[in-house]
Amino acid sequence: MNSMPRRMDVQQAAEDLRRRTLSEIPRSLDRLIYLASMRDYNTGLYYHDGLASRFTQEVACEALADCHREAFRDLVGSPLRGLVCQMEGYMDSTHTSPGEFLTAWKKLEPYRVAVPVETDPLSAEFLFSSFKIALAILEARLRPAPAAPDA
Amino acid sequence: MIQLILILAFGALCLSSLYFLARRTPRAEGGSGPLVEARQALQALRSGLLPPELIARIFARADLEYVLSEVPENVRPLFMEERKKIALSWVNQVRRQILLLRRFYLGSARSYARLSFRTEIALALDFAALLFACRALQVALYVRGPFAVPGMVETTAAVAARVCKVYEESLAFLSPAQLGALADRSAGAARL
Repeated sequence: MNSMPRRMDVQQAAEDLRRRTLSEIPRSLDRLIYLASMRDYNTGLYYHDGLASRFTQEVACEALADCHREAFRDLVGSPLRGLVCQMEGYMDSTHTSPGEFLTAWKKLEPYRVAVPVETDPLSAEFLFSSFKIALAILEARLRPAPAAPDA
Repeated sequence: MIQLILILAFGALCLSSLYFLARRTPRAEGGSGPLVEARQALQALRSGLLPPELIARIFARADLEYVLSEVPENVRPLFMEERKKIALSWVNQVRRQILLLRRFYLGSARSYARLSFRTEIALALDFAALLFACRALQVALYVRGPFAVPGMVETTAAVAARVCKVYEESLAFLSPAQLGALADRSAGAARL
């Protein structure tokens, strides 16, 4: 088996993945989390049985990595307003209570393990910082600060 | 007497300079470490720090306007603090990579790169301007925040990009393709 997949095959596989799977996931944030979940945390390799059966495991892995980087770039390029909307949409789609979701995301910072490998550190830090701000915005909307008492 | 002392001091200075020049280690000329370091610095600047879209995102005024107009007031300090942290991190990293490039330029660029005298002067001026701009920008970002000095950010990024371009062009002959061409040429010459 060839260990270095051909670029053309990877592009075809990535296109296949976009058409069949990612087109059903409209938000970049959801795509980022979905694609990160396809990655084995012990090896850093991506697995997708359907894609591997149509191409090869190596090609599928590279295609998933390409799409993961693409989702990451989309998110980094998204304005803060867009990121807040995406996070709100994602939060609603999880069917957990917003309070629980916000507490968990603030404590665990799950987005830190959702970035592709070899991401440049500044882009990653920028995205983490934007997530932090977006979470604070959603929390402030959920639990408005008490009004200052009249003197 | 004073003149004699001055002449002797000047002579001693010249001799010590010659001594240190003669004792310079061949590391700068022969080792690949500085070249690798310079290439990594170029790569970090080109792909990680200077892409215009990333700079535009870090210093996006649209985000500030959104926060000022639509976001609860108690989140504003966090937003300003986070963006300031990222902006300072950006300028610090640009400065660090430029210092690495300058170290290569001062130490061993002549061994690898085909730099004309004019290019060397232009690079020296760009380095000086860039390091000054980075320092000034650090102070400005620290004092006035990340959205107050867009012109300085643009200028710093533009000069850094220019330095990278000059460096890339001067080191381009070491790219794998060109190394291959050089090898072919020397093999052809050997056959003749």
